[in-house]
Amino acid sequence: MVELKPIRMEEAARYLGYGGQMPDETILNLMRECEGPLLAACHPAYSVGIFDMECCSEEEVKLAECALTLTGKDIVKHLVGCTKVVLMAATLGSGVDTLLRKLQKTEMPKALLTDAMAGAAIEQICDDVQAELQRKMPLFRQTWRFSPGYGDLPLAMQDDLLAAVEAGKRIGLATTQGHMLTPMKSVTAIIGLQDMTKELRKVSTADGDEGDMVSAPVGACAAGACAGCAYHDSCLSRQDTATNETSVSKTETEEIHE
Amino acid sequence: MSKFPEIMILDGAMGTELQAAGLPLGGVPEVWNIEHPEKVTDIHRRYIEAGSQVVYANTFGANRLKMAKTGYSVQTLIVAAIGNARAAVIEAGKPETKVALDIGPIGRLISPLGDLAFEEAYDIFAEEVRAAKGADMIVIETMTDLYEAKAAVLAAKENSDLPVYLTMSFEANARTFTGTSVDAMALTFSDMGIDGIGMNCSLGPEELLPMVKQLYTATKLPIVVKPNAGLPDPATNTYNVSPEEFAAIVRKMLPYGVQVVGGCCGTSPAYIRELTKVVREWEAERDAGNTVCPDDFEELTTLRNTRPTGIASASRAVWFTEPRCIGERINPTGKKRFKEALQNGDMDYILGQAISQVEAGAEILDVNVGLPGIDETEMMVRVIRELQAVVDVPLQIDSNKPEVLEAALRIYNGKPLVNSVNGEEKSLSSILPLVKKYGAAVVGLTLDEAGIASKAEERFAVAEKIVSRAEAIGIRRENLQIDCLTLTASAEQAAVAETLKAVAMVHERLGLGAVLGVSNVSFGLPNRDLVNATFLTMALQNGLTLPIMNPNSESMMGALRAFRLLMNIDKNSLAYMDAYRDYVPPAARVSSSAAGPAGAGGNAGPNGTAAAGNAPAHSSIGAPAGDPTAAEIAEKLGDGAASLYAAVVRGLAVQGTELTKELLTTMDSMDIVNGVLIPALDTVGAGFESGRVFLPQLILSASVVQGAFSEIKEHIRKSGNETVSKGTIVLATVKGDIHDIGKNIVKVLLENYGFTVVDLGRDVEISAVVEAAKKTGTPLVGLSALMTTTLPSMKDTIAALREAGLSCKVVVGGAVLTPEYAAEIGADYYGRDAKMTVDIAREVFGV
Repeated sequence: MVELKPIRMEEAARYLGYGGQMPDETILNLMRECEGPLLAACHPAYSVGIFDMECCSEEEVKLAECALTLTGKDIVKHLVGCTKVVLMAATLGSGVDTLLRKLQKTEMPKALLTDAMAGAAIEQICDDVQAELQRKMPLFRQTWRFSPGYGDLPLAMQDDLLAAVEAGKRIGLATTQGHMLTPMKSVTAIIGLQDMTKELRKVSTADGDEGDMVSAPVGACAAGACAGCAYHDSCLSRQDTATNETSVSKTETEEIHE
Repeated sequence: MSKFPEIMILDGAMGTELQAAGLPLGGVPEVWNIEHPEKVTDIHRRYIEAGSQVVYANTFGANRLKMAKTGYSVQTLIVAAIGNARAAVIEAGKPETKVALDIGPIGRLISPLGDLAFEEAYDIFAEEVRAAKGADMIVIETMTDLYEAKAAVLAAKENSDLPVYLTMSFEANARTFTGTSVDAMALTFSDMGIDGIGMNCSLGPEELLPMVKQLYTATKLPIVVKPNAGLPDPATNTYNVSPEEFAAIVRKMLPYGVQVVGGCCGTSPAYIRELTKVVREWEAERDAGNTVCPDDFEELTTLRNTRPTGIASASRAVWFTEPRCIGERINPTGKKRFKEALQNGDMDYILGQAISQVEAGAEILDVNVGLPGIDETEMMVRVIRELQAVVDVPLQIDSNKPEVLEAALRIYNGKPLVNSVNGEEKSLSSILPLVKKYGAAVVGLTLDEAGIASKAEERFAVAEKIVSRAEAIGIRRENLQIDCLTLTASAEQAAVAETLKAVAMVHERLGLGAVLGVSNVSFGLPNRDLVNATFLTMALQNGLTLPIMNPNSESMMGALRAFRLLMNIDKNSLAYMDAYRDYVPPAARVSSSAAGPAGAGGNAGPNGTAAAGNAPAHSSIGAPAGDPTAAEIAEKLGDGAASLYAAVVRGLAVQGTELTKELLTTMDSMDIVNGVLIPALDTVGAGFESGRVFLPQLILSASVVQGAFSEIKEHIRKSGNETVSKGTIVLATVKGDIHDIGKNIVKVLLENYGFTVVDLGRDVEISAVVEAAKKTGTPLVGLSALMTTTLPSMKDTIAALREAGLSCKVVVGGAVLTPEYAAEIGADYYGRDAKMTVDIAREVFGV
C-alpha cells in the first residue's frame, strides 16, 4: 500500500534532541543497526477521505456526507480559504510497538533510537501521502497537518475521525479510552485544500501577481503548525522562530509528538 | 440428494448499502435499526431475494463502547436489528432464512496492543451475545486481533448454544494487522468448538484465494469466505471486481473445503445473485462427478490429512511435524536466582530468560512458576501476559493445578500446550475437560496412581489410557503429546533404555509425538552436557519430537540441529548453516562469556563467535583526554578501574562487562559501584546537562553500567551477601497513558545509581500506585504522563497518595509538564529529564 523508504536519520536525530547536529559515529552506527529490524517491523498503511466543506462558523466546520464535525477556533482558522478537507489516518502498524516493547526489555539504547526513527518514519509516510495527494489534485494547495489535540481541537474527536475514514477496518487503527492512537506510531490529521484556480483568479484581479501562489511548495507553511500545538513550549522539533530559543533545553523522546 | 452438505450462501455488504441509502461516512449504522428500520429491512430483503440463506443483522458495531454516544442501549439496538432481519425474512416469504448476530471488533485494542483488558473485551462481547435472543447463529467477523477474536469466541460459547462462525481479516501479506497468520488462527480456533472458520473483508476474492488454500491445509472445520468486491480505489471508494468476476473467482475456492460464502464491502444483492447461481451450478457439477480437481488439490489435501496439529502464539504457528526444542529455563526448580525473581516479581529477569532462549533456538517455551509462598495462579497469569507481549513463540503452560491451568488457558493469546495431564483419575477428570474447552494441546505423563512404572510396556499402557480418555471427551488424539519420563541414569541406569523403548512405542504404535525432559538423565554426573546431548540424540532417533531442554546449551542444541540435518528435516541444511556460518572451534575462542546484550541473560550463542572478535580491551580503553576524574580513578584505584570508567563514558558494553568481571577479583563490589560506575555516570550526566552529551549517549552509558551491575549482583549473590540497595522507588506511567518509554529511561538510570525500582508499568490504576507506595514504604514515587489529556490522572494519583496519608514525595515528568503545572497538581518535584530525576532521588534519599 505504501512504500517505506530509508529513514531520514537527521529527522530522527532531531527527535533525539540533537537539534541540527548529527550524532557521533557510535550512535549513528547503532541507528543503522536499528534500521533493518524497524523497517521489517513496519507495515505502513493509510486511509484518507476527501470531503467538501459544507458550512463553517467561527467555531465549527461541517463536512458534506460526513458525520464528523470539527470544532474549535483553531481548526476554523486552519481551514480559512479552503473548499475541501482531507481527513487522514496513517500508521506503521502494531509490529513496531511489539519491536519497541521487546527492545525496551533488552536493549534500551536501541529502543530509544528505534522509537525516534519510527517517529521519523511515520512522518515520512504522511509526507508521501500528501505528495501523492498533490499529484492527484495539482490544482489544490494543501495546508499543513492539523491533528486532534492541537490548540482547541479536542483529542476526543479522534474516534470520530477514525470512523469517518474507516481506519479501523482499513488500516487497523484504534484508540484507547483516553483517545490515544494504537498502534502508537500512528498519525491522524486534517488537511485543508485551497482551490488554486479560485485563489489565482482572486489574486490576479487584486494585483496581478500569480507567481507566488503557484510556486508555494507543499507544506510551505509547516512552521505555522507549531503555534497551535500542545507541545509548543517544550518541543525541540518546533519549526517556528522561537525554536532556537528553546532548543538548548533537553528533551526526552516522549516529547516528540506524533 | 447430494452426499455433500449444501453450501450456505450469506449476504453481502450492509455498510456499503446503508451508505447508498444515505448514511454519512462515520455515521453509526446500528442507529438506523431504530431510526430507519424500513431501510435496513429493505436491504436484508433484497439479499434474501438474491439468494442469501443467512442474513447478518445490522449489529456489527453494536457494542457498549461504540454505542455509548448514541443514546441507545446495546440490548435495544440488537433486539431492533434482529427484528428488522426477521421482518425481511417474512417479507421475502422465505421463512427458512437464518438470522445471524453479527459481532465486529470493539474498536479498541486489547492490552498490550492497546489499553483494553481481555476480561473487559469478554464482557462487552458477552453483553452482545446475551442480547441476541431470536438469532439463529453468531458470526464473529472482521477480527484483526487473535486475542480479541478469542474473547469473542469464549463469550459466544459461554453465553449461548448457537452455532458460532469466526472470520478474520487478512492483508496482502497473509497476516492480519496485528500479525496473525492463517495457520495461527486455524490452530487457535479449530478445537474450540466453533462451527466454521475463515476470512472476510480487506481483500477481494482473487487475493483471498491463496489464503483459503492455506486455511484448507490447516483446519478440518468448514471454511467461511466473505471477500470484498475487489480492492477499493482510495479516492472514489469504489471496488474493482464485477459480480460476474466475483462469483467466478469464488468458484475456484469451493473445492478447498469452503462451505459458507458471501460478500463483504462493496458487494450488493447483484453479487449475491450471481454468487448463488455459480455456487449451485458448481454443486450440480460436483454431484454429477463432473468437476475437475485443480492441480494443487491433491497435494494440499494430502498435507491437510497427514499433518499433525500444532500450537500457536498470536503470530507464530508451530506444527508437531518434526523435532523442536521446548525451552526449560522458565522454571524455579533448582534455580536460586529464578526463585528470587518470582518472589520479587522481577519480570525483567524472567523476560530476559525467555528472550535468550528464543534467540538460542527454542521454538516453544515451558512456563512453570510454582513456588511455595506465591500465588501460582496470579503469577502464572502475570508471567504469561508479560511473555506474550514480547516473545512470539507459543508457550507450554506447566502446572498440575487445574485452577492455574484454567486461568492461564483463558488469557493465553493463541493455542498453548498444557504440561500436563497424567494417568491418575484425579488428573484425567480435572485437566482433560479444560484442554477440550480451550482447544489446547496437552502433554500426557505416563504415570498414574501406581507411580512411574519401570517397564516401557506399562508406561505405554498409561499413554493408551490417557489417549482413550481424551478421545472420549472429544479431544482429537493428535492434540496429545506423550511424555515417557526421563529417569536419572546415575540412580537408575537400566531405566534409560526403558524410556527410549517407550518413546519408540508411542511413536510407532500411537503415531503421536513424544516429549521428554532431557536433562533429568544426567543428574549427579560430571560433564552433564555430554550425557544430555548423547541421550537427546538417542531419544530423537527413537521418535522424540519435543525435547524439553536448555537451548543455551551449545552441545544439546548442536545435537538437535545436527539430527535435523542428518534426517533431511532441515532442507538444504539451511538452518544448520545459518547457525554455524561463523563457527569458531572452542580452542580458538578468547572467551565466550561476554556474548549477548546487557541484561539479555547471557546467551552464549551457537558458536561462541560473539565474543571471539571482540576481545576485552583491558587497558586499551584510554580515558577521555583531559578528564580529571579518569586520572583520579587511575591514580587511586588502578588502570583496570580507569578502563571501566572509560568504557562507561564511551558506551562500550562488552568491554564494560568484561572489565567488571576482572575488577571483581581484586576490588570490593561496592567500591566498583561508588568509585567507578557512579562517577562515570556523573561525568556523562554532567555532559548531558551542559548539552555536550545527548540522550542516546547517556542511555548507552547507562546500559554499560547495567551490564556491569548484573555482574556485580551475581558476584554478591555467589558470595552469599545481600544486595545493597540505596532505597526503593515506585514508578508508574499514569492511568490512561500507554506511552512509557520515558518512564523506562528514568528506570534504567535510577537502577544504575543503585536504587531498587518497583516498576508498575503503564496505564496504572490510581489504587495500584497507592498500594505499591504503602507496601514498599517508599519515600519517593515517580509519575510519568505524555499527553495533556492524562495530566488530570496524574493530579488524581497525587491526591490519592496524599489522601492515603502517605508521606512520600512525588516527582513527575513527561512531555507536556511544566514546573508550574507540576507544582499546581501537588507534586513535590518536577523531573525535566531522566538525569534530573536521578538528582532528585539522590536528594530525597540523601545518597
